[in-house]
Amino acid sequence: MLDAINKFIQKVLKDLFRKKKHVKLGLYGPPNGGKTTLANRICQDWLGEDMGIVSSIPHETREIKIKEQISIKSGKKELSFNLVDTPGIATKIDYEDFVKHGLSVKKAKERAKEATKGVIDAIKWLDDMDAVIVVLDSTYDPYSQVNITIIGNLQARNIPVLIVANKVDLKKSDMKKIEAAFPQYEVVGISAKYGKNMDNFYDLLFKLVK
Amino acid sequence: MPHQCVRCNTFYDELSPELLKGCSCGGKLFFYIRKESLNKAKQMVTNLTEKEKGQIEQDVLDIVGQSPSDEPVVLDLESIKVVKPGKYEIDLVHLFKGDTVI
Repeated sequence: MLDAINKFIQKVLKDLFRKKKHVKLGLYGPPNGGKTTLANRICQDWLGEDMGIVSSIPHETREIKIKEQISIKSGKKELSFNLVDTPGIATKIDYEDFVKHGLSVKKAKERAKEATKGVIDAIKWLDDMDAVIVVLDSTYDPYSQVNITIIGNLQARNIPVLIVANKVDLKKSDMKKIEAAFPQYEVVGISAKYGKNMDNFYDLLFKLVK
Repeated sequence: MPHQCVRCNTFYDELSPELLKGCSCGGKLFFYIRKESLNKAKQMVTNLTEKEKGQIEQDVLDIVGQSPSDEPVVLDLESIKVVKPGKYEIDLVHLFKGDTVI
């Protein structure tokens, strides 16, 4: 009897704590997958404003960015979360790649330094996440060291994951390859830039953050 | 395990007081090197120019968020390798494991 009361009290306290907590939803992935484009799409859809600057030069996002209290609705359901946009995770950062994009050597070196710090910060923040959306460019081969390391670590930490196969509007896009690479997780194909298949994405988001 | 001063290449053992107060050359950034990577690391630092060493020192301090006047910094080359200023190699497995950079 006492044991049952004890369990009941623990459940009530747990539910109370869970309701008060702000769900942290992290956007993770390699550079130029479209994390910030997706963050902007979500913020535009539900808040009517952008979250960050998007660029074709890799590592545009070099600091953790948080948008608090985003509420999304689907029928009678409502979901509130804090969206955390993280810098792209890479194994090699070379200023010469930025010089090729037209940056001066000085600016390119600064960007490389900040991007490296960004990778460290993104990984440090992982433990704070309640759920993660891994954003992958569906025109690229998904079997990369970065993708496998990120997704393997999320799995090991038991963090709920939704994989976004972004850029499905492009001819080279191959979502099936991503599905085959990570069969343990749900994959949704979207175009964050053009807002394609976002309804499906939001439905899966509800499932992800129960 | 040896620690190498980035500025003057001097090696120090684990318990050397220089790791706490800084190298005799004034350098406060040390690379932490595992025995198996010792030769590679020796070559890497000696191939750098004085200017490059100074730049790396400043960049690493920026990355870890410390000012030059603070305590010495030991950078674990297994997590982040600074090949040259602006060129970084990151070992994600080490970082995800929670191994510290410094």
